[in-house]
Amino acid sequence: MNVQPVPADDGPQRLLAESRQLARRVRAAQRAPWAPLLVLSAVTFAAVPVYRYGRYALTCRTYDGGGRVCLVSNTATLVYWPIALVLAYVAIAAFYLHRARARGVGTRVLPVAGIGILIAAVTGGAAAWLATHPPVGGFLALRFASGQAGWVFGVVSPAFAIGLGLLALAVVERSRALALLSLGYLVFAMVPGNDLGWVIRHPSPWAQVPRLVIGGSVLLVAGLLFAWVQRPVRRDRP
Amino acid sequence: MTGHPANGLDDVVHQRVRLGILTIAHEARRVEFGYLRDSLELTAGNLSQHLGVLERAGLITIDKGYAGRRARTWISLTRAGRSALRAEIDQLKALITQVDAARDRSTRPEEPATE
Repeated sequence: MNVQPVPADDGPQRLLAESRQLARRVRAAQRAPWAPLLVLSAVTFAAVPVYRYGRYALTCRTYDGGGRVCLVSNTATLVYWPIALVLAYVAIAAFYLHRARARGVGTRVLPVAGIGILIAAVTGGAAAWLATHPPVGGFLALRFASGQAGWVFGVVSPAFAIGLGLLALAVVERSRALALLSLGYLVFAMVPGNDLGWVIRHPSPWAQVPRLVIGGSVLLVAGLLFAWVQRPVRRDRP
Repeated sequence: MTGHPANGLDDVVHQRVRLGILTIAHEARRVEFGYLRDSLELTAGNLSQHLGVLERAGLITIDKGYAGRRARTWISLTRAGRSALRAEIDQLKALITQVDAARDRSTRPEEPATE
């Protein structure tokens, strides 16, 4: 076989290796998952007074058999979360754009912010609809009646919206650590609080506070860990 | 593809610095002149020459603007640039595979070795 010589400096293995290394450096310069984690943690902690002091409404619907399905909902949180999450994603996008300009590399955060806002709108709308339209027939109503429909509230919960947004960011940033954290957070959002024994039962105004504190703390600790891992390394030591 | 993979290499792209520029621009979507200069450890003049070659080949676009009072130059890949980069990477991988296969054949003992 005739193997054509290639200049030593431009050898294919070396070129490929350098190319991969440059790509890795760009990705490292673009990544800043600690910022969204800290922003979303702040949004979660800020929700505590909204849950504690917001007005609770009881919505009941009667189904054909004569029974009733009632849901307790906090109207303030139905307003708080969509607005807070949209503002959070706007702040995250602004941070990434500013950082990208300062570092001289582009950013892929805008699609993530768009997806995050869309998820916030969909889950917020679904939560509002569910609060005003408790299911009165079919499989879902039976699950509600037997108290086994916690996963429905999990899917429309703000924590689930946050987990999905973080998962989108993990895909864009190609970060396995962030993907694992997002998946864990989605599981946390789906598991009904009382299954794990950390929810104070309704009608206490403190009912959701433990879940918020745990969720906010997870995001805060993860954000601080990512920031610590990504801290600038001093190169001026002898 | 027919023929040796080296025949498919594009002379514009198959060069250490220009491949680096395309790789960074692809990964970053948009990259500033200063980042390229620092990452590739080039002088501004040298980098400008390579950028000129890539721009004339239609593989990148160069946008000049200001960030505050500071002049900034941003480089982005064109569609042709993305295709050229992908083709170069594929050719390099094929070349490595072929060279490795040739090396394996040449090191395989065909007859008893004599000293």
